[in-house]
Amino acid sequence: MVTSFTPRSLDEAIRLRQKPELTPYTGGTDLMVNPNEDASYLFLHRVPEMKRIVEDGEYIRFGAACTYTEVIKHPLTPNILKEACLKIAAPAIRNAGSIGGNIANGSPKADSALIFMVADAKLRLCSAGGERLVPIKDFYLGRKKLDLRPDELLVEVLMPRHGLDNYYHVKVGARNALAISRVSFAGIMDIEDGKIRRCATAFGAVSDVIIRLDQIDQMLDGKTISEAKELKSAYLSAMDEAIVPIRGRVGIEYRKDVCMNLLRDFLEVNGI
Amino acid sequence: MKTISKSVPKRDHAEKISGSAVYVCDYPTEGMLFGRLLRSSVPKANLLGVKLPALPEGYIYIDKNDVPGTNEVWMILKDTPVFADKTVEHIGDPIGMLVGPDEREVDRLLAKVEVEYEELEPTFDARQSSVVFFDYGYEKGDVDKAFEDADKVYEEDFETGLQEHLYLETNGVIAHSKDGKIHVHGSIQCPYYVHKALVHALGMPREDVSVAQDVMGGGFGGKEDYPSLLACQAAVAAYKTGKSVRVVFGREEDVEATSKRHPSFCNYKVAVKDGHVTGMKIEVLYDAGAYTTMSPVVLQRGIIGAPGIYTIPHLKVHGQSRKTNTVPNGAFRGFGGPQTFFAIEMMMTHIAKDLGQDPVDFKLRHVAKQGDLTSTSGKHHFPVPIPAMMDAVVKASDYYTKRAAYKNQTGRYRKGIGMAAVYHGAGFTGNGERDIIKAVAQLRKDREGNVEILTANTDMGQGLFTVFAKIVAEALSLPLERIIITYPDTARVPDSGPTVASRSVMAVGELLRRAALRLKDEWVDGQEQLIEERYKHPEWMIQFDLETFQGDAYPTYSWTVNAVEVEIDTYTGNIGIVGAWGSFDVGTPIDENIVIGQMEGGFVQSLGYGMMEKMTAEKGRIRNNKFSDYIIPSSVDFSNLQVMLHVEDYPEGPFGAKGAGELPHVGGAPAVLDAIENALGVNLNKIPFVAEDVMNTLREVSR
Amino acid sequence: MTQEIRFNLNGSDTVYTGNPADRLLDVLRNELRLTGTKCGCKEGECGACSVIIDGKLINSCLVAMGSLEGAKVLTIEGCTKTPQFAALDKAYESVSAVQCGFCIPGMIMASQCLLANNPHPSEAEIREGISGNLCRCTGYNAIVKAVGTAAEEGNGLW
Repeated sequence: MVTSFTPRSLDEAIRLRQKPELTPYTGGTDLMVNPNEDASYLFLHRVPEMKRIVEDGEYIRFGAACTYTEVIKHPLTPNILKEACLKIAAPAIRNAGSIGGNIANGSPKADSALIFMVADAKLRLCSAGGERLVPIKDFYLGRKKLDLRPDELLVEVLMPRHGLDNYYHVKVGARNALAISRVSFAGIMDIEDGKIRRCATAFGAVSDVIIRLDQIDQMLDGKTISEAKELKSAYLSAMDEAIVPIRGRVGIEYRKDVCMNLLRDFLEVNGI
Repeated sequence: MKTISKSVPKRDHAEKISGSAVYVCDYPTEGMLFGRLLRSSVPKANLLGVKLPALPEGYIYIDKNDVPGTNEVWMILKDTPVFADKTVEHIGDPIGMLVGPDEREVDRLLAKVEVEYEELEPTFDARQSSVVFFDYGYEKGDVDKAFEDADKVYEEDFETGLQEHLYLETNGVIAHSKDGKIHVHGSIQCPYYVHKALVHALGMPREDVSVAQDVMGGGFGGKEDYPSLLACQAAVAAYKTGKSVRVVFGREEDVEATSKRHPSFCNYKVAVKDGHVTGMKIEVLYDAGAYTTMSPVVLQRGIIGAPGIYTIPHLKVHGQSRKTNTVPNGAFRGFGGPQTFFAIEMMMTHIAKDLGQDPVDFKLRHVAKQGDLTSTSGKHHFPVPIPAMMDAVVKASDYYTKRAAYKNQTGRYRKGIGMAAVYHGAGFTGNGERDIIKAVAQLRKDREGNVEILTANTDMGQGLFTVFAKIVAEALSLPLERIIITYPDTARVPDSGPTVASRSVMAVGELLRRAALRLKDEWVDGQEQLIEERYKHPEWMIQFDLETFQGDAYPTYSWTVNAVEVEIDTYTGNIGIVGAWGSFDVGTPIDENIVIGQMEGGFVQSLGYGMMEKMTAEKGRIRNNKFSDYIIPSSVDFSNLQVMLHVEDYPEGPFGAKGAGELPHVGGAPAVLDAIENALGVNLNKIPFVAEDVMNTLREVSR
Repeated sequence: MTQEIRFNLNGSDTVYTGNPADRLLDVLRNELRLTGTKCGCKEGECGACSVIIDGKLINSCLVAMGSLEGAKVLTIEGCTKTPQFAALDKAYESVSAVQCGFCIPGMIMASQCLLANNPHPSEAEIREGISGNLCRCTGYNAIVKAVGTAAEEGNGLW
């Protein structure tokens, strides 16, 4: 039986999420490309907690049903996220598509998810049995495989409030609008008092999931720029070995070249 | 600018902008049957059988056995079957059609149809194909001697890829069967082409078949040959069921199953003596796909234009189009021209570079002049305005300064500027207008003194109705409002020929002008009058012989010079278009806005062809079958694009007009490739050239 | 199973009774016979089906009917009754920006939304505002010019 629900509160949404036949629907920009006429949707755009952007001591909390346009326009949104969202598709898609959908459809090409990855954001997943906070990196288990239980709802994305200002972001698409990422890269180099507090990189659209090699990035954490320079070749060769693209609309060699070029440039603009 | 060139509101403006225009997909569907094609899933096979699911009442399957006349679609030849007979020749080849009252149910049933094939070895590469559909060639001067006497001989190969029209409105028709007559209307570029095909396939008298054009959402050649096939299929279904049958494609089906621009492979050998090109030996190969459709004429235009806008004294040009087990390639704006013009422009540029000359100067020294022999030993009867146009584009783009500045760059972002100069032969090739088309146009005056234009020519958005109305109004000295023109129906318009080959304004517009002048002379108030004009071949033309390719291939030429500036990100391969400048000579513009709109739109398509629109197939299956996957330019890709008009009147065209529609799709691709060469310091030989190609090139250079 | 969905369409309260998973585009065109909204791709990539929902430009091919409960939907048919449309109409006409016309209703919706949010856009902002609406005929120059002209001439309307 096809029927849809439009819950008005988080409790109601979580309760309805217990019905396995319901498909969560926020913007529709992905689900409706190949629509299932027998689908029963759980429309989430009227759940206040999922439509707001607020901050607490540690995080900026993005409701999962917030559209890209809402994220772009909100004063709390860090520039790195704003910039990435502005490069998504075109105005009409940004007005409908949601960050929750971008994350939960599991695509390695997801432009906002790339930023949440490099920021080491956390996902708030709620179910009738309770809730848990999962680092986004652990959320992606493999190609279209997510750490999301059938009764769980992605409610909020928690992005650290600080340390995101010194960023680097490039989206490579086949045209300047309406482009699906062919390769995307985001880097953050949080430097304080001449020392790298946190180096983070993420590579999108090159493998089954967004690549986030935090253990390699951590080679540079706590280092001065000149110390980092000494580690540069070791860092780059570790990355070179670890980044293994798969073939898509563009070839493996192309993806690898672009990843490494952008990674090197990211270091260079930071004096490394 | 002449007064006629001053723009007026387009005739189709109001109904289109308000959304009230009725395209074929907009007709109410009550009582209609929906048709969906059963298509081959393999590239080449013997067809052993089709197993249908149980069909509910009202759902009917139609195939070759239901074709009442001959199971052939008469285009130029008749090798395309209406429905596959014993074999299938490409993925998507239509085997049958399922019709029924509920479209979704038709889809569900179609998914359950099983086809049994005996698969055969397909051919995907035209270079490997042993089936030669067409073979043409011509010579000029003494080419062997030119090569013997040469100081230097150059040889290069060039490749161009598929291009998809991607008109916003997909192909679609509705066929009606009533009282023993068949009427088909839809998104149809050439109603009389479809009429001819229907009469043949249905085996019905001409007068019992009629074809009308609906408001059309773009064509670019993609609805020139294809609707003949689709209309035959829908008409057979209407004939069998006695009902109206609607077939409107979804996007993926349209991209996968309908025609594209022919991929090409060219080999150029060039003899140079004393810094001047004296001879060329050119081999041209076009990939026709599975059936011949428009391939003979596309190839003719391709080989005639193969030496470009230059006067080359000694020539040997040979071309073939061969069969592959892929979707048939057909008409596309430029019609065989863009492939060889790309090759010749790059070839000339590469020679100039090797000789240490600027390509623009080198090309200018070879450009044809009035009175020169053409490639086919016809004559350039009219002035060739390329030098003045080149000058205008050089100034607008600041070509020389930039070209010099962009040499030997090493940073991340590298700029380049490039230039190309091309022509488009206006109208049908050779004696086509006189011997094949034999156009007839009419004007009908009513008692109130309103004048209706009766031609078979179609307005696909290019503005033809507005332009025709202006020509007639001007010649009659009547206000525009008194001129009537509507979408053509073969039941009531004469055959003025197809809307193709940049011929409509030049050839049919001139018939209308002459008819209008006669009507003006013979005007009687309060009476109905009908004036008819027939095509007259310009007497000064040198007879064209299609056997030897000797004579005037075209009465006149439209000319263009294009410059493009790029900025390449060598870290990502991204090619940004910094600016694009074009000077276009289409004779007198009958409507300035309309001509500029044609030039801008075609120029953008041509740039897309050169550096964006990549279509790949794997084992005969097209991969890029969606808007998200076959990339055409958006509004933010070529922001700085400037069009200038140069006017070289054509005395045989109405008010000096000549061919316009296709010209802008010829020069953009070689211009942008030249710019990429300038930026990267390399020579390039293929389009499309996209980001991945940039990176591959940089990798090769660094090795 | 059908469900009742109440929304406002072009100023009129409307009840849709049908499958909530149906696309708005299909319902507009096939059931409500509002065929000014065009179907170009059904994947949100071409913009021909653009409508305005609650003041925002949206591709109607990617909207499930069920999500529209309480929403305000404006299609080209509703838009033509506004003074803003009259200004756009005139501006598009003055530069002959309409060729095949299939992208144009969507382009008008995008123009309207753009100017409603930014009454005096730069050329770059206009290009960005219509960047989700693909046009294969014009190369966009005329459309960009038309939107600029509408903004100037229709001063105060937006």
